Amino acid sequence: MIDRILGMFTTVSQEPHGSVWIVFLIGVAFGVIVQYSRVDKFEKIAGFAMLRDTVVPKMLFLAIGIASIALYFMVEAGYASFHPKPVMLGGLIIGGIIFGAAMAIFGKCPGTGPISIAEGRIDVMVGAVGGIFGGLVFTVYFDTFKKIIGESLGKPTLVSLFQGHETLVVLIFGIGLIIISIMIPLREELDNEDLKQLES
Amino acid sequence: MPRRISWWVGGILMALLLLFTFSTLGAGRPFGASTYVPYFAGILFDLDPQKYPYLQEVHNAGAWEGVMLLGALVGGFFTSVFITKSFRFSIMPTGWKKYKNNSVMSRLVWSFISGFLLIIGARMAGGCTSGHFLSGMGQTAISSMIFGGVVLITLVVTGKLFYSKEALDD
Repeated sequence: MIDRILGMFTTVSQEPHGSVWIVFLIGVAFGVIVQYSRVDKFEKIAGFAMLRDTVVPKMLFLAIGIASIALYFMVEAGYASFHPKPVMLGGLIIGGIIFGAAMAIFGKCPGTGPISIAEGRIDVMVGAVGGIFGGLVFTVYFDTFKKIIGESLGKPTLVSLFQGHETLVVLIFGIGLIIISIMIPLREELDNEDLKQLES
Repeated sequence: MPRRISWWVGGILMALLLLFTFSTLGAGRPFGASTYVPYFAGILFDLDPQKYPYLQEVHNAGAWEGVMLLGALVGGFFTSVFITKSFRFSIMPTGWKKYKNNSVMSRLVWSFISGFLLIIGARMAGGCTSGHFLSGMGQTAISSMIFGGVVLITLVVTGKLFYSKEALDD
């Protein structure tokens, strides 16, 4: 097992996707941003499911809006490339339903969960064990899951569908999302336990 | 130092991190955070990649996300201890007590089940909040918009059905 854990670092160092340190630091930045904006909290994610807290959708839509415009111009300038995921209807719809329901109950997603554990949340640790078993079941029964996921219908993006008007479409998409992120009324479900800790 | 940042500062920083990850100066790939789970499951249960083709499929992405995740744990831990001051061991979220019930057992059983389903769902769809919402919709990918729409609807419907409408009195 130790061999395979060390192999993880070797794999990353042999891949052309950033040195081990850069990838690690991307993770550190992700942990700091998520923790600092508090979106790893149950009250933020389950709170959004109950429509009592809107920080998660506001932050998400703003980030996507800005990133979509900037990324498009970065790709045009040759500083990045697109890697969209394929449309596989069974996987996206059935997987999306399972994911959405689980996210509402868990109050975490796969990226925010570990950051919550780093903050001392034991219930999330139990959920992570469940997640590891989820990964195990998916790996072992991959052939069965593949049938539900379905065939790939290609990897379309708005940019590839509206050739000739790409810039306009990306600007409408990005600015539209930024406007939505501002228009969603700000609601917050605060955690009194956290506030108490700040007072002491 | 402020104890937290507002949604728009968080959103701008997240966009910058995403762009850095995509750029040839950074990692030259999308940002994702659910492929590491089957990758770790393969290591923990010592599954042979020769026997399980899915492990070969996630070999490179899983390793990338595994290293990224170690960074996220470190970043999250130090931020919670020194900046947000929110580090504490707890087993029951305040919101669960307020809108669901007072039972630790109930929270732990539901955590396990929802953690399990979360990964099944993410791997079926080929991504999660990071890979589909942030990275995928950032590329205006149609697949990610389908996933995003389905998740938003299911999330809110589940929230309505699963939790009580009013705060429970304790």
